[in-house]
Amino acid sequence: MSDTNRRAFLKGSVILPPLAALGVSSASSQQTPAVDELAASAPAAATPAADDYKPTYFTAPEWAFVQAACARLIPNDANGPGALELGVPQFIDRQMGTPYGDAANWFMQGPFFEGAPEFGYQSQLTPKQQYRLGIKAIDAWCAKNLGRTFAALKPEQQDDVLKKVEAGTIKSDEAPLKTFFSGFLLKNVMEGFFGDPMYGGNKNMAAWKLIGHPGARADFMEWVDRPALYPYGPVDLHGRQA
Amino acid sequence: MRLAAQSWLIVILALIAAVAAFGLAINRNLPDPHLGPAMAKRAPNPSRGAYIATLGDCAACHTTPGGAALAGGVPLATPLGSVYSTNITPDREHGIGAYSFTDFARVMRQGVRPDGARLYPAMPYTAYAKVSDEDLQDLFAYLTQKVAAAPAPDRVPGIPWLLRVRWPLALWNKAFLQDARFAPEPAKGAAWNRGAYLVQGLAHCGTCHTPRGLGFQEISVDGGSAFYLSGARLAGESPVNLRGNAGDGLGRWSADEIAELLATGRSPHAAVLGQMGEVVAQSTQFMTPDDRSAIAAYLKSLPPAPEEGRATYAPSGATLAAFMAGRESTVPGARMFMDSCAACHRLSGEGEGRSFPHLGGSPTVLAQHPDSLIRVILKGARLPATEAAPSRLAMPPFGWRYDDQQVAALASFVRQSWGNNAAAVSAEDVERVRKGLR
Amino acid sequence: MAVTNKSVDVVIVGFGWTGAIMAIELAKTGLNVLALERGEDQDTVPSFAYPKVVDEIAQSARNGLLQNLSKTTVTIRHDKDGRALPYRQIGSFKPGTGVGGAGIHWSGVHSRVMPEELRLKTHTLERYGRGFIPEDMQLQDWGVSYEELEPHFDRFEYVCGTSGKAGNIDGVMMPGGNPFEAPRAREYPLPPLKDPPTSVLFAKATKELGYNPFPLPASNASRPYRNPYGCDLGPCNFCGFCSDYGCINYSKASPQTTILPALRAMPNFAYRTHAHVTRVNTSADGKTATGVTYIDAQGREVFQPAGMVVLAAFHLHNVRLMLSSKIGKPYDPNTGEGVIGRNFCYQLINSVNTFFDKQTYINPFMGSGGVGQAIEDFNADNFDHGPLGFIGGGIIWGRQTGIGPVRGIPLPKGAPTWGSGWKQAVKDNYAHTGRIEAQMSNMAYRGAYLDLDPTYRDAYGEPLLRMTLDWQDNDLRMSEFFGDKLNAIAKAMGATSASGRVLKRGDHWDTRAYQSTHINGGTSMGTDPKTSAVNKYLQSWDTSNLFVLGANVFAHGIGYNPTGLVGALAYWAADNIRSKYLKSPGPMAAV
Repeated sequence: MSDTNRRAFLKGSVILPPLAALGVSSASSQQTPAVDELAASAPAAATPAADDYKPTYFTAPEWAFVQAACARLIPNDANGPGALELGVPQFIDRQMGTPYGDAANWFMQGPFFEGAPEFGYQSQLTPKQQYRLGIKAIDAWCAKNLGRTFAALKPEQQDDVLKKVEAGTIKSDEAPLKTFFSGFLLKNVMEGFFGDPMYGGNKNMAAWKLIGHPGARADFMEWVDRPALYPYGPVDLHGRQA
Repeated sequence: MRLAAQSWLIVILALIAAVAAFGLAINRNLPDPHLGPAMAKRAPNPSRGAYIATLGDCAACHTTPGGAALAGGVPLATPLGSVYSTNITPDREHGIGAYSFTDFARVMRQGVRPDGARLYPAMPYTAYAKVSDEDLQDLFAYLTQKVAAAPAPDRVPGIPWLLRVRWPLALWNKAFLQDARFAPEPAKGAAWNRGAYLVQGLAHCGTCHTPRGLGFQEISVDGGSAFYLSGARLAGESPVNLRGNAGDGLGRWSADEIAELLATGRSPHAAVLGQMGEVVAQSTQFMTPDDRSAIAAYLKSLPPAPEEGRATYAPSGATLAAFMAGRESTVPGARMFMDSCAACHRLSGEGEGRSFPHLGGSPTVLAQHPDSLIRVILKGARLPATEAAPSRLAMPPFGWRYDDQQVAALASFVRQSWGNNAAAVSAEDVERVRKGLR
Repeated sequence: MAVTNKSVDVVIVGFGWTGAIMAIELAKTGLNVLALERGEDQDTVPSFAYPKVVDEIAQSARNGLLQNLSKTTVTIRHDKDGRALPYRQIGSFKPGTGVGGAGIHWSGVHSRVMPEELRLKTHTLERYGRGFIPEDMQLQDWGVSYEELEPHFDRFEYVCGTSGKAGNIDGVMMPGGNPFEAPRAREYPLPPLKDPPTSVLFAKATKELGYNPFPLPASNASRPYRNPYGCDLGPCNFCGFCSDYGCINYSKASPQTTILPALRAMPNFAYRTHAHVTRVNTSADGKTATGVTYIDAQGREVFQPAGMVVLAAFHLHNVRLMLSSKIGKPYDPNTGEGVIGRNFCYQLINSVNTFFDKQTYINPFMGSGGVGQAIEDFNADNFDHGPLGFIGGGIIWGRQTGIGPVRGIPLPKGAPTWGSGWKQAVKDNYAHTGRIEAQMSNMAYRGAYLDLDPTYRDAYGEPLLRMTLDWQDNDLRMSEFFGDKLNAIAKAMGATSASGRVLKRGDHWDTRAYQSTHINGGTSMGTDPKTSAVNKYLQSWDTSNLFVLGANVFAHGIGYNPTGLVGALAYWAADNIRSKYLKSPGPMAAV
């Protein structure tokens, strides 16, 4: 803080009567502040769910699938809006544009071998590739067996397809569908539903309100020993209240 | 800065008149710094002088970060551009190596250089005028014998040359400089006198903490006014009231707590903020415990400033009770406080010991001018590292999270909760401070 | 070698807990100390500032504060005849990165060790006889005693501002504390944290069952605190973002909150980030370390000469550096010979979610990493193992660490995983769900070890460390025993149902779901160079100016969380380096 503040501070104590006599009394600073490391405390700019969102990564058929899947995985029902209404498809599309979409922090060197499930993810597919191949394979299965793409099916049919994908009974040579479902689609839907609205989902913090989660409040000293309903609504990272 | 601007206007008018009437009649001879006759025989002590330099915090303005010690060049912003602090190393060409002690004393007491040029009162010579002959002599010995000469030329002010004329400052000196040494009051004891000498002189506390008059001068430099050290406003900060007011002053602090703040930058009441962090880091933490205690004792002796227009504080549990009852939503700003502030300052506003400042009764919170409070909300703050307390605990900024209206509501909530009773803050106040930060 | 730096007295590899401890304790002697950290520099503000860090997407879903596995990872297999596969995504353990290391994203549970665990072989032989030890279990004594370590446990707790209640001060039993506690010299520096609902229910239930609940010691400060280095902590506010997260308000002990402010002020200390150490360099005879080689931010290979080398990285990296630097004999599971990689262990966890009725509020979003009530009635040898027939023990706790929805909302058995039914279930259960766990010691076995992978290499061209480990019959029988205890406690707590993960016979190590980051062994400490890599002072038997810190020196698993012991061992080593080694460099323990 040293330099900038000292200068700003001294500005007030410097008095220049001869200069003042020429009619200059502006106190506005011409200084360019030094880089302020405290400013790095702020999160990235918010990109909340938008009504007119256009996908960046997903193609039109993929976008239709993602929206339809979101609507079934967390439906709009008596308990309030679902994943589609809260912007979860936007969340997933945006995530494809982050390092996550390219598996940037995963070890992706070969050789690749299949192993027992306990050894975790062993595919060379990145999240982007999982979606591309997974959606294509599911849509192909639906077209072949049900005569329409997934998005064009009735909700009950969609649920049935998703259950079969989850159980591993719909298989594809093109994509590891069971892994795609549990490790990507369902996981990312949950993330988008419950994550901070700045990422594009959880519009108006509705998912937090559904379960009574206070979001980014992060302060419960006075409440932690009170086993009762917590009375306050959530706040998001950018300070919006609900 | 509206008030300041009005002051400036008055200064302008007064000075135009003064220049016109008396400009040519000013005595342009070098003034006498009034050194006592004993000084000629006294052997200066440069080691003691090093401590004097610490007490006076010379490095704050005369050493650039990472630059040669005391070689000057620190930019000091003025309305017309930067001026730069000067080289006070013993370099003969660029520093003070060619100064006599008399020359030095004249600079320190009257703001006049050996060539007759006037210093801008950014150099607090109105305070240093209180400093004793002996201390000045030791300081001079330190600067000329113990500091490495740095051949750094003084930087030309970034002010258009036509406007750089300095001689009219003589008029200002005539009006506002009290060229008198500190006069002890034996009845008040050694500690009080030592504290008063430091506060009024070397530590130049009034430079920031005393309100300024029409000529932008400190309205009192010797404690003679009940407004001495009663808090001020300077370029986006509001240095706090150091007098005995129980609301915005140090009335509820013990002398030990004041001394602790000077040693560590933190106390059970509050932590230092803004420029005071540097003062602690570079000066007060290196004072002897006796000197810090003397300063505290002197400050504790200052009676409250007139209460009119000042905030009061009467501790109250009502704010916390409202939070716990889930009633926050009726008070603007309460919810933001809960969302952004309570994690450290607590719903009770009490903070946590020396780690997180207590907001109830905080001089900064209750200051007449809310600039520092607004500034810390917008920009955050970081404590200085001191030997006794090296943790640079920081408050993150929230200016990115809330707009001017919201910050005004938040600051007003803080100024009016837990028994705080200070005036509300307006969105315009916040806008002004925010602009000053850019 | 592209670049050779100026020599320093001490180079420390890794700048987390043990690196910071060793740095400050050695810098105090006036030595020039340099710490090398592979990750980023980071500090509370701005790195962990509120609200930026309390972001489940960034931290829990994308592992923002953890090791970037694309740079380096490990491979894993269950037995020495299997094919090891890379640990491609963060799963059952979470190595940290950057200044502060795993000291940033840990929880804060801060325990010691039970005295008999440090001499478990001798103790087991004395109490249960030789026949009690399974044939392939490689028990051994650690060479250091609890009494020797006590001042260093105390030191680390006072540095961290650990919140707890003493149960045993110099043999005097203290009400409210853990009656099984090993004797301590004085009370904890801070009183226990407030109990969240899970802990209250757990304490009540375990007391009713005849056990001895006590507040789990936590390095999440319960009060503002200034530690012996002058560093200031604020109190924990139960924000619910602890494990996986950096602490927003200086209350979780970390190198940043407890040591670095004082260390940074020391002119004879420096640290460098983005310095990935690949080798400890040694003299031709291997008896002297001459420095370390690292890759800097620009990808250059740099030699850093030093008079003394301290390995203070995370477990995995310390062991790999010993192997890649060819210091000490690599362990061979076929012959049982060799020491580097030997006795690799991984603490077990059984986790049971407890679901309560709608009137019982748990509010799991509130919590703190270390807060909880625990029982140690079944830890170490606090109970008679004779009739049970297994070696080892553990701690059972009702902690409330903070559960957010992205981290996963536990649901009762049979609840749907998606759809309207799932939505109803999360709505109904979230506020009323707690979790109790048993953490159990994992013993050392002949077939569980670490070596260099023959196939996979990391981004620096170095072979990955290969883990060979699976649960053994002894472990799984212990786990079943603890599973029964957990279910009984859940019932006594009044849970309407309970579900979770209890390891049973037939189960294998599953690397996908988080278990704990408490992996240990691989460069064991001990009294015999044939079965240990370092002596009781954590000094390499082979290279006497090389010291190896971290849980990799554990001779086998323990019941408690490892950080307290890891920190105490670092203080113990530093103290002995100062008092013994610096006066007379060379091997400190007789072979």
